[in-house]
Amino acid sequence: MLPIPGPGAAIARARPRASAARDRWMALAFVAPALLIAGFVVVGGIGMSVIQSVGLLPLVGEAEFSLDAYVANGDELLTGLALSLGIATASTVLSCVIGLAAAIIITQGRTTGRVVAALSALTIPIPHLVGAASIGLLIADSGLIPRLFGIPSAVWPDLVGGPWWVAVVLEYTWKESAFVALVVAGVLATRVARYDETAALLGASRARRLRHVVIPLATPAVIVSAIIIFVYTLGSYEVAWLLGRPYPEPLPVLAFRLFTSITLTSRPEAAAVAVVTTLVSLLVVAIGMAMLRRTPLWK
Amino acid sequence: MMIPYGQRITPDPRTTRSRGLMRPRPVGRIVRIGVAALLALWFALPVVPLLIWSVANRWSFPSPLPTEWGFDGLAQALAQGGVPAFGRSILLGLAVAAIATPLGALAARALTFGRVPAPRLVSGILLAPLALPAFVAVMGLTIVLLRARVPATIAVLLLLVAAALPYTVYTMRVAYAAHDIAFEEEARTLGASRAHVLARVHLPLVAPGLARAAFLAFLVGWSDYVVTVLVGGGTLVTLPLLVGAFAAGVGNDAVVAVLSVSAIIPPLLLLLALGRFGRRYAGGRLAAPTPSRSPKGSP
Repeated sequence: MLPIPGPGAAIARARPRASAARDRWMALAFVAPALLIAGFVVVGGIGMSVIQSVGLLPLVGEAEFSLDAYVANGDELLTGLALSLGIATASTVLSCVIGLAAAIIITQGRTTGRVVAALSALTIPIPHLVGAASIGLLIADSGLIPRLFGIPSAVWPDLVGGPWWVAVVLEYTWKESAFVALVVAGVLATRVARYDETAALLGASRARRLRHVVIPLATPAVIVSAIIIFVYTLGSYEVAWLLGRPYPEPLPVLAFRLFTSITLTSRPEAAAVAVVTTLVSLLVVAIGMAMLRRTPLWK
Repeated sequence: MMIPYGQRITPDPRTTRSRGLMRPRPVGRIVRIGVAALLALWFALPVVPLLIWSVANRWSFPSPLPTEWGFDGLAQALAQGGVPAFGRSILLGLAVAAIATPLGALAARALTFGRVPAPRLVSGILLAPLALPAFVAVMGLTIVLLRARVPATIAVLLLLVAAALPYTVYTMRVAYAAHDIAFEEEARTLGASRAHVLARVHLPLVAPGLARAAFLAFLVGWSDYVVTVLVGGGTLVTLPLLVGAFAAGVGNDAVVAVLSVSAIIPPLLLLLALGRFGRRYAGGRLAAPTPSRSPKGSP
């Protein structure tokens, strides 16, 4: 049943060769189901997207290598890329700043910390689509905020579907700042108290403790959450579709429209958008991991 | 230095809190409470219009409160198939949790205690779905799954399980890192069968971790939109699909609010149950024998 447990460990030392090989096979058998599913979806998903995007798997007709799919929507692809990067950057930076502030308040304990902890935790399980619907009801020109302040629709800026994608960035920031708060508060709670007290005893002021103790301790967790948020917001469809404007389209919205279009050539074009999005995601993960390795706490 | 019996040598926390270095200063306190209040508002405010709209029949623009209260939104949600969609979402979430949790636990156990070949590569593949936008996997694999005649529901399940695996693997690795395998070895030396050890020692000890992993996997299935839309092609109408369909139209605010609130409540209840379970478990009899730090193999 179990890979290495039981008296097996003691017996393993007695007859190392055969047992070591068996242990390895057992461990592999335990990992295999999860590995096969994850591997099939990741490798298969990327691989088949690449194959379709270069025209090797057309719905009808001859398979022939071509980069037409990348060129066909060249302009839209570039605008979409810039727009997606902008939305992801803004959402990631804002979520990290707000989430870090919330984490620091949470780790201070006391009633205020507990209230913030509870409210941010309750935000976590809300689906993004529901978040988008509620942000719409809050800040659209007929939303709750203009109602409360009595601002007529004509004066209220176009936050939903406007040129600056404010509602989209706000929705991501709202949900993901709670995520950052959860992750960072978890790390700070286990480590920061002792160091903070030591620094205080050694005479460090509040500002210096924040600057030299709390923030460095939180940095690795912030970077990890930033990578996850950036990649998520770059590839997420429903929020941008619901709260955005019809043109220009972020990459996932563009890919979705091409994929569901009835034109025969649009499937490879959708796959091309998917490949570009994947490349950017992988690049961001690589940059993030390099940043993580350079933090002093990385082991 | 002689210390009289019974005298504290460490400062009393009650007195140090009132005059210690960590004592909050009045200005700092006001700033902290102010920031905490803003954060609480930030996390809670977007849910407010949902709650109001869900019990409003009519809410014409400049009015800060609904002009007519009532349950028209609920009636419309029920008439539009809200209940079956709710049931399908619950089933989808449970199915994803039921598959991804044991697979994640198996993989995490082998990675923690077993001799998995190329452990870094294996962990990398298991975490990779986090870095891959969901729509890329869908667009790449749809053609494969269609040609293999995999039913849409199974295909949705497969893709969502892959998306949930990083969470379950990671959560269970944390759980197994704190798990002392000496308990299982001791039970085996005392004559318990492998099945008995699994049911009576191993699973009870990692139960809180399993519950957390299952909750996260449930959330993946519960909140998914883009996979269900693209792969399911409208055959699998879940709650987020209904929210999306109504939110994309105009004048459906009450229905959208009712559907959204019903999409928030189940995961919220699960989150509260999870918190209670974790606390009761930690204080209960099962956690009473704290895992010994004895070296492995010598119980």
